[in-house]
Amino acid sequence: MVAAAEHIWLGELINAFAFIGTGGHHAGRDFFGGYCCFNDVAIAIERLREAHGLRRVAILDTDAHHGDGTRDVYQDDPTVLHVCLCGTDHVSADGTKVDVAVYRRCVDAGSRSDGVYVEAARGEFAPRVRSFRPDLLIWYFGFDGHRGDYGDLGLTAACYDGLVSLTLELAGEICGGRLLVVLGGGSRTDLASTLIPPIIARLADAGG
Amino acid sequence: MMATPRTGIFYHPSFSQRSYLTVGRRLADFPGALEHLLALPQVILFESQPVSDELILKVHTPDLIAEVAKDPL
Repeated sequence: MVAAAEHIWLGELINAFAFIGTGGHHAGRDFFGGYCCFNDVAIAIERLREAHGLRRVAILDTDAHHGDGTRDVYQDDPTVLHVCLCGTDHVSADGTKVDVAVYRRCVDAGSRSDGVYVEAARGEFAPRVRSFRPDLLIWYFGFDGHRGDYGDLGLTAACYDGLVSLTLELAGEICGGRLLVVLGGGSRTDLASTLIPPIIARLADAGG
Repeated sequence: MMATPRTGIFYHPSFSQRSYLTVGRRLADFPGALEHLLALPQVILFESQPVSDELILKVHTPDLIAEVAKDPL
C-alpha cells in the first residue's frame, strides 16, 4: 500500500490496486479491531507527506462498515477529505469528514440498490472532492456489501463498476488520474475472484 | 512500441494463505485470477513489502503495535 502510493506519487504509475493481508480502516491511533491491525491508508498518507510533500488527499470509503479508525486518525485534519458510506449521516463543521447513511436507502431500494448506492457516492463525494482539489484520490473498496457477504447491502458487480467509473472520472478530472484502490472488507473467495479483476481491468484501461 | 506499465498491482503470496480473517482464504485464487491482466503491457505486479515500525509510529501508538503483536490473529 505504501509502495503503491509512492509509485503513483512519483509518476511511475498512474493508478494501482493494493491487496492486503488484514484490513486497515478500523485501526485508529490507539485501537484496532474488525480484522484490522494497522491503518494502511493513513500510513501511506504519512509516508507521502513526510517524504514527498503530499498536501491534500481524498478518501472514498465504500467498505460496508464505518471507517472509524481512519476517522479517528484524521478527525482534526482538514487536509484529508474522508467520505464514508455507512449507516449514519454526519458532516463535520469544516465539511471534510462526511458519513452517508446508505443502509436504509439500499434496503428500501431492493433490486435497485446498486444504482442507489452509486448515486449516493456520486452525490456526496463528487462535489466535495471537486471543491477540495486533492493531490491523490484513494478508494477504500470493500466487497462485504455484496449480496451474500457479511455486510450484505444487496449490491452486485454493477455497483463496483459504477464506483470505479466514478473514481476514475474524478481522479482524471482533479488529480492527474492519480488513483489508489485499496482492498477492504469482504470474505468470500468466489466474490473476490469475480469482482476484483474487472476493477483492475478498468484501471488498466484508464492507465494504458 | 512496448507500452510503459501504468497500472500497478501490489500483492504478496501470504495474502492468499491467511488473508482477511473472517474466512481466512478469500484471496485463494490470486494471483492466478489476474493472469489475463498481467499479460497486458501496461500492468505490472509488485510484491508488497513490510514497512518500518518507525513509519507505523507516525500513525499509531507504541501500545497499539505491542497489542497487535500479542493478538492471536
